[in-house]
Amino acid sequence: MATVQLKNIKKVYPYISGEQKKSKKKDDQPQKKINLQITDEGVVAVQQFSLDIADKEFIVLVGPSGCGKSTTLRMVAGLEEITDGELLIDGKLVNDIPPKDRDIAMVFQNYALYPHMTVYENMAFSLKLRHVPKAEIDKKVREAAEILDITQYLNRKPKALSGGQRQRVAIGRAIVRAPKVMLMDEPLSNLDAKLRNEMRAEIIKLRKRIDTTFIYVTHDQTEAMTLGDRIVIMKDGYIQQIGTPQEVFNHPANLFVAGFIGMPVMNFFDAKLVREGSKYFVEVGGYRQELSPDKEERLLNHDVQSQEITLGVRPEHTDVNDEGVAARVDVAEMMGSSVHLHVNAEGHDVIIIVPTVDMKGNYEMGDTVHFSFDGKVAHVFSKETEKNLEF
Amino acid sequence: MSPELRRRETVAGYLFLLPSLIFFVGFVVIPMVMCVVTSFFDATMDLNTPDKFIWFDNYIELWQDPVFLKGLTNTLIIVLVSVPFTCIFSLWVASAIYKMREGLLSFFRIVFYLPVVTGSVAVTVVWKWMYNNYYGIFNYVLKNTGIISKNINWLGNPQYALWCIILILLTTSVGQPIVLYVSALSNVDNSLVEAAEVDGATNTQVFWRIKWPQIMPTTLYILIITTINSFQCFALIQLLTSGGPNYATETVMYYIYYTAFKLYRFGYGNAMGVILAIFIGILSAVQFRLAREK
Ligand SMILES: Nc1ncnc2c1ncn2[C@@H]1O[C@H](COP(=O)(O)OP(=O)(O)O)[C@@H](O)[C@H]1O
Ligand SMILES: [Mg+2]
Repeated sequence: MATVQLKNIKKVYPYISGEQKKSKKKDDQPQKKINLQITDEGVVAVQQFSLDIADKEFIVLVGPSGCGKSTTLRMVAGLEEITDGELLIDGKLVNDIPPKDRDIAMVFQNYALYPHMTVYENMAFSLKLRHVPKAEIDKKVREAAEILDITQYLNRKPKALSGGQRQRVAIGRAIVRAPKVMLMDEPLSNLDAKLRNEMRAEIIKLRKRIDTTFIYVTHDQTEAMTLGDRIVIMKDGYIQQIGTPQEVFNHPANLFVAGFIGMPVMNFFDAKLVREGSKYFVEVGGYRQELSPDKEERLLNHDVQSQEITLGVRPEHTDVNDEGVAARVDVAEMMGSSVHLHVNAEGHDVIIIVPTVDMKGNYEMGDTVHFSFDGKVAHVFSKETEKNLEF
Repeated sequence: MSPELRRRETVAGYLFLLPSLIFFVGFVVIPMVMCVVTSFFDATMDLNTPDKFIWFDNYIELWQDPVFLKGLTNTLIIVLVSVPFTCIFSLWVASAIYKMREGLLSFFRIVFYLPVVTGSVAVTVVWKWMYNNYYGIFNYVLKNTGIISKNINWLGNPQYALWCIILILLTTSVGQPIVLYVSALSNVDNSLVEAAEVDGATNTQVFWRIKWPQIMPTTLYILIITTINSFQCFALIQLLTSGGPNYATETVMYYIYYTAFKLYRFGYGNAMGVILAIFIGILSAVQFRLAREK
């Protein structure tokens, strides 16, 4: 239980001799889309990271692979030196305090269970190091094992456990100690889809029981949305947006956040923002829609003028009807409660979700449909800066 | 898999094994068996008199042979000193250097490994000069610094000779353990170390509770090869002292050689060989057992 404050944190991984060339080669590989800033000192993995985490808050760091999530988490743990900025736990500056004295616990992506110790010993290790009396260790380990349903494996070595069971042990090892801050680095990414869903639910339950400050790293937006009190979305070492799941879903700060949060992905169109007095309209493919009053007010506050924009509308916010934007059907995916229509409109591939109950007949490839959207759910992004113009 | 297919695969497998199998049987298994068999005969090189089966006479004689007993004592001293020293010293050096950057690490690896790859004869000859009574560097340095007043005949003095041998043995035997330990230590999963740090372990605790158990297999291997090497200390003795002065550096291995190839008492020599093998076997088994329990 503790507050954690990160003040303008920066991390530079210095070049080790000869590595500069190697990393340059890596950049040549076309599949890598990371654009970390590279300076004379090295690779800037994280910068301008400022975040105040409240006591008992559950923070999720989310972003594509290589964006600096793990680096940030490891700086909080003390496993990685902080290049610049201040890190405070419970108001105390801990930049130069080693991990063992920070009273944090961490669940590693690969679990990092001690292979030569039994499950019991793994969980008891941190308590033993703190010279907790044997009886108390026993009580705490059994309690944690009970919560995580691993009591029958206490005498096994990690080798003899399945992935899911190892995951539980790793979490058990972290919770026996009731740490100030609980850090988790992609704890579910090595599990299969079904197990991952189960464990996600378990973590939500667990969080209720142990009631401490969590920092949770994932690249999976679903995990971020379901677990986080607040989500920190990162890209290329920078924070893109901080907010509750609702906020980042309903008000993405920029094109990246809009595309990253939500499944299926938000649809984007080349469109026009037209200002008429204090009213704002978006025009796409001959369809014109006025924005909702609260959006108009925010745009007005920033004195936004008419301009070419990227328009974003979520698949679940598009309605099929007779007017609206014309589109040609490519594929219709039957999902049960709804149909995902993959269509082509205005030169963009677009997904429209049609609830099955609203369907009039079947959709065939090549059919023309029309769709529209409400002024509340249209997101307008600057073509130039990719920022949400409302911000 | 059909039985026919399996049979063909088995045959192919054995065919691949055949060359090394022939070598192994011809040059390892048969000599070993012959060694045990001849140890029950009074085998000599004399082709005119047939070897006589003498039951355990060779083995009984061993324990009344003061030279053998002296050799056995010396061998055990060598083992008991050099095995722990080699293991501890190489672990210490390895943990000091394994995190260094590549160039420095290579330098240290070369320094410690050089005596291993240099021909043992060459190394021994150099040492022989360093120990020399009149021109040796040890005497030169010690005398000029005033630590000794009179030259010491290192290899000729029963008091020092065995320790001189042990010192050379150590310099040639720490190389491989250091290289092995360096790679074992750098192979320890770093996330285990980090997990332990987060769990609250100090550096010392990380070492003994995480790294040490992880490198246990390497330690076991090093213990056993060092034990075997120390037991079989031969070339040094042969080149430097021939077991002298007054049997001060006599080892079992050297005495076997001497008995078999100088006195031509093959049966007796082989009996010693069998005893030496039993000693090595027992010690290795004990080390295995101890390492397992941990
Ligand atoms: N030890 C390191 N040395 C140099 N660069 C590193 C090191 N660790 C990570 N990086 C770089 O920093 C960036 C961020 O890494 P990381 O925080 O692990 O990303 P994420 O966890 O978001 O996938 C990556 O591009 C990676 O290449
Ligand atoms: Mg990561």
